[in-house]
Amino acid sequence: MSFLAAIAIGFREIFSHKFRSFLSMLGVVLGVSSLIATMALTRGIEEGMHIFMQQLGGLELVKVVPNEPSSLMLEFANLSPGLTLRDAHSLRNSATLISHISPEITHTVSAACSDAGNSERRKARGILPDHFVIGIHGLAAGRWLVDLDIERGARCAVIGHTVANQLWPGTPAADIIGRTILLDQTPFEVVGVLPLYEQEEDTRARQLGKKPRARRWDPFRQKNEAVLIPFSTMFHEFRSGAFPENSMDSLKLDALTVRIGNLDHFRAALGQIRSVLDLSHRGVDDYDLETREDWFDRIESSVRATRLSGGLISAISLIVGGIGIMNIMLASISERIREFGIRLAVGARPRDIFRQILVESMLISLLGGLLGVGASLGLIEILKMISPTENIPVLTTGSILFSVAFALASGLLSGLYPASKAAHLDPITALRYD
Amino acid sequence: MSILEFEGVRKTYRVGEQEIHALAGIDLRIEEGEFVAIIGPSGSGKSTLMHLLGCLDTPTEGRMVVCGTDLSRATPDTLARMRNREIGFVFQSFNLLPQLDVVANIGLPLVYSGVPRRDQRARAEEAARRVGLGDRLANRPPQLSGGQCQRVAIARALVNNPRIVFGDEPTGNLDSATGRNILTIFKELHAAGKTIILVTHDPAIAAEAPRVIELCDGRIVKEAKA
Repeated sequence: MSFLAAIAIGFREIFSHKFRSFLSMLGVVLGVSSLIATMALTRGIEEGMHIFMQQLGGLELVKVVPNEPSSLMLEFANLSPGLTLRDAHSLRNSATLISHISPEITHTVSAACSDAGNSERRKARGILPDHFVIGIHGLAAGRWLVDLDIERGARCAVIGHTVANQLWPGTPAADIIGRTILLDQTPFEVVGVLPLYEQEEDTRARQLGKKPRARRWDPFRQKNEAVLIPFSTMFHEFRSGAFPENSMDSLKLDALTVRIGNLDHFRAALGQIRSVLDLSHRGVDDYDLETREDWFDRIESSVRATRLSGGLISAISLIVGGIGIMNIMLASISERIREFGIRLAVGARPRDIFRQILVESMLISLLGGLLGVGASLGLIEILKMISPTENIPVLTTGSILFSVAFALASGLLSGLYPASKAAHLDPITALRYD
Repeated sequence: MSILEFEGVRKTYRVGEQEIHALAGIDLRIEEGEFVAIIGPSGSGKSTLMHLLGCLDTPTEGRMVVCGTDLSRATPDTLARMRNREIGFVFQSFNLLPQLDVVANIGLPLVYSGVPRRDQRARAEEAARRVGLGDRLANRPPQLSGGQCQRVAIARALVNNPRIVFGDEPTGNLDSATGRNILTIFKELHAAGKTIILVTHDPAIAAEAPRVIELCDGRIVKEAKA
């Protein structure tokens, strides 16, 4: 018997018992739809996390911060010049695996717009243009700081969304460009405004006109409250007077941010940074490397756990669906014993009967799977309606194919036993059966 | 060479501790083109003999050759092939599939012999016309009379052009007039060169056959040739 003939017989059998077939499909429908919905949900979470990680500067961002030397090194601590601009130069020259580097000095200033008197304390940061690349910054309007600003020590600033909003409420970012911001009474020209950084669910909540959930910790606060000015301007305007003997080169930095060129060489790049800094710091461990590795690993492992538990539950429901099919197939073959007797009498081989039952059970699971794909689309819409601020579920072809294949496999497995039972019927007994 | 050859064939069933000898040593030769009736009281073993002759079963002991193939130790697949190609079966209770129409019922053996689908239909329709059912092709068995059902069964038995046609009480469920019609078809088939074997307990039908074999207690007790 050809495979096509078996499929034709299977379809006739399924459609001649519509309600029974539908009941046996139901388990598979539920299993497949929940499997696809779970995969779409976790995929949505995953992509949301991915965007979040990118906005934070990604894995490539490494921060070098000054640190108290360990007790062993305490007596030699004076030998080290500390974290300075010289470190930035030597890292740029010697650490070939890093692509961008920017020093950072912070200084708390009172920020006010020229027109109104109310000011707010802000942490201004003196940086180099590389800073924007390292932090993966966008731009709402204007421009980033450029090398010429550094060279000239220009009094210009790029400000974050929160700062702009507080100083000039309701003004579009483009109109803020060119206005003057007073940092400790020194006028600076605003040359760029950064976009608003927020998590996906907050964006969606805002679009729906709801208030974003209050958080104790906002990972984007530093970006949104940024007041960025050229490194040289920061030194000359705010920091040079504190220590007359200071030069720009020997000034102690608050941080040194670095972008790793290629993540494949992440470890090697960290090694390069360490060996360069160990040399310039004369072996004193008065600095620390902050990476996001552990943090991102934790995020990823929690996404994995969600996916695994969701997938497991759906897989179990698919297996239960398979058992449902087996039940119905067993009932169906004991009803059709005489049919198999007739088929055997006219020359069907046991393997023809086996194939027929197996194809039937796989057809049921396949149809159930296809119905399940349809149901999952509805399920996802319902999920979106219930919690509109969560990450948008992302449906992929891969997850659909995987779920349908899984359903087919469960149909195959659950058809094996009924099929072998039908194939081992004795033709004489089967013909006599009533 | 004989088309059917039985030598010392025994068939023993075990029911618990008890052994039942359904066939206790059968020696039988049937030549191609013969018309044979097998008669005997119920329990004589004629059904068992028919199942063996019809390749639905294998003997416990002895040699059994059908159409030149030794089937004494045949596998289910070999038996299925013999049933499909060399043997046509007509049962007392018709044994048609109620969910299939006349053409599909007649074409059922072709499904299992690898005949292409378009040829299946053509050959089934031709077989239907041979038994006078050309106008009932789209009907299903529940819509047909007993005589028409038996014609469908005969057409199904013939569709693969077998050398042997078996009838297991083929007129048992029919009124006598219809029964005679069916018997006439068997006679025509015999005239066309088929080997016909009928199992019956009706002496009137047995009287029509040139050769009658009588069974009792699993042995051949009487053979008559006209």
